[in-house]
Amino acid sequence: MKQRKDSGQILLIAAFIMASLLLSAQIYVFEVGRIQSEIESDSLNDFMLSVQLGSAHVVTGSLANISNGGSSNTLESNLQKWVSFMGNQYLHGKSALDYTLRDAAPFSSGIWLNWGVNGFGVSSAYVNFTHRLLGRNTNVDQAFFVNTTTALLMESTNRRLSGDTRQVNVTISLWNEKEPALARQITVYYKASTNWLIPDETNNYTLQDYGNGTYKASFVATFLDESVEVSARILDYRDIHVQANATSTEV
Amino acid sequence: MFDQKGQIRIIESFLAIAVIFSAVLVSVTFPSSPNLSKEKSLASVGTQALVQLDANGTLGNLILQHDWTSIKTALDILLPVGVSFNVTVYDDAGSVMNSELVQNSNLLGREAVSVQHVCATQTQTVQFFTVRLQLAWNG
Repeated sequence: MKQRKDSGQILLIAAFIMASLLLSAQIYVFEVGRIQSEIESDSLNDFMLSVQLGSAHVVTGSLANISNGGSSNTLESNLQKWVSFMGNQYLHGKSALDYTLRDAAPFSSGIWLNWGVNGFGVSSAYVNFTHRLLGRNTNVDQAFFVNTTTALLMESTNRRLSGDTRQVNVTISLWNEKEPALARQITVYYKASTNWLIPDETNNYTLQDYGNGTYKASFVATFLDESVEVSARILDYRDIHVQANATSTEV
Repeated sequence: MFDQKGQIRIIESFLAIAVIFSAVLVSVTFPSSPNLSKEKSLASVGTQALVQLDANGTLGNLILQHDWTSIKTALDILLPVGVSFNVTVYDDAGSVMNSELVQNSNLLGREAVSVQHVCATQTQTVQFFTVRLQLAWNG
């Protein structure tokens, strides 16, 4: 009788130790699983952020191409490649990115190029995206859009110096997504008879950069007509081309 | 009879002590929980650095120009002091692009985390890359 009671004590101790070991192992597995799912969630957010950034770059690069004379299909073609590339980049699940080019006026196939004669020029691209991520623990649907716009506002005044010679001032403002932007290259033209000419040092050409997206060009030229027409062609720091023409006002 | 019972109890208590000690030994040698929160913060720091570098298309342009030195310098500035890194850039076909090591110290033998960033250039001919950044705390 006594012998049985003693064996029971050992069994109890052993069972207690085993239960403790099992419980601690279970807590460990739970804890690791919880932190791993947090890491996956963070990785998911980071991935979605990089998809948004990349999509914006693709749209911007395509607009740069189209505004510089590239094919109007460039945007669609680049987006197709991007979507295909993204399909197999997410390591923790499945990524499906889709896009729709904006077709509502003034956009056509996601692009709006309006290089007007009233001193306003715009080069813009607009694409809607939907992105679905199927992770091991989380599924995320995200919709976002990318609108890349470079706009140019131009005003010009001139005053007669002597005979047909006039001093022309052209004030240019450049905008990226409604924020003042800097230009990589500015070329000003004036119309002499039927030809567009670029003023140079013989025209006392100067270009003043105010550092806030505003530039002022001045030059002296001979105009046979009363009407003084000027043009500005600009490349911004994203290589997007925009241009506008304006009729200079005599002051 | 009385002496025999005492002997059995002594043996039992020795056995119990042995079992408890072996349990303690097992729990001591049990792999400690990896410091995942530290890894998490390292991964977050790495992602932030890559996103910051890619925000205006700089990262893609530097890769396009094979300017590995500038990428290393930029990451040296963007990452906190005490973090070692190693960058590998893959093109859209999955081939490694960087012909030289882009790292500030060797990560061999260190507990490293890896973050991956997909990147598109902002150039007229758009290209895509995958940037893998491995990070480890120094010391």
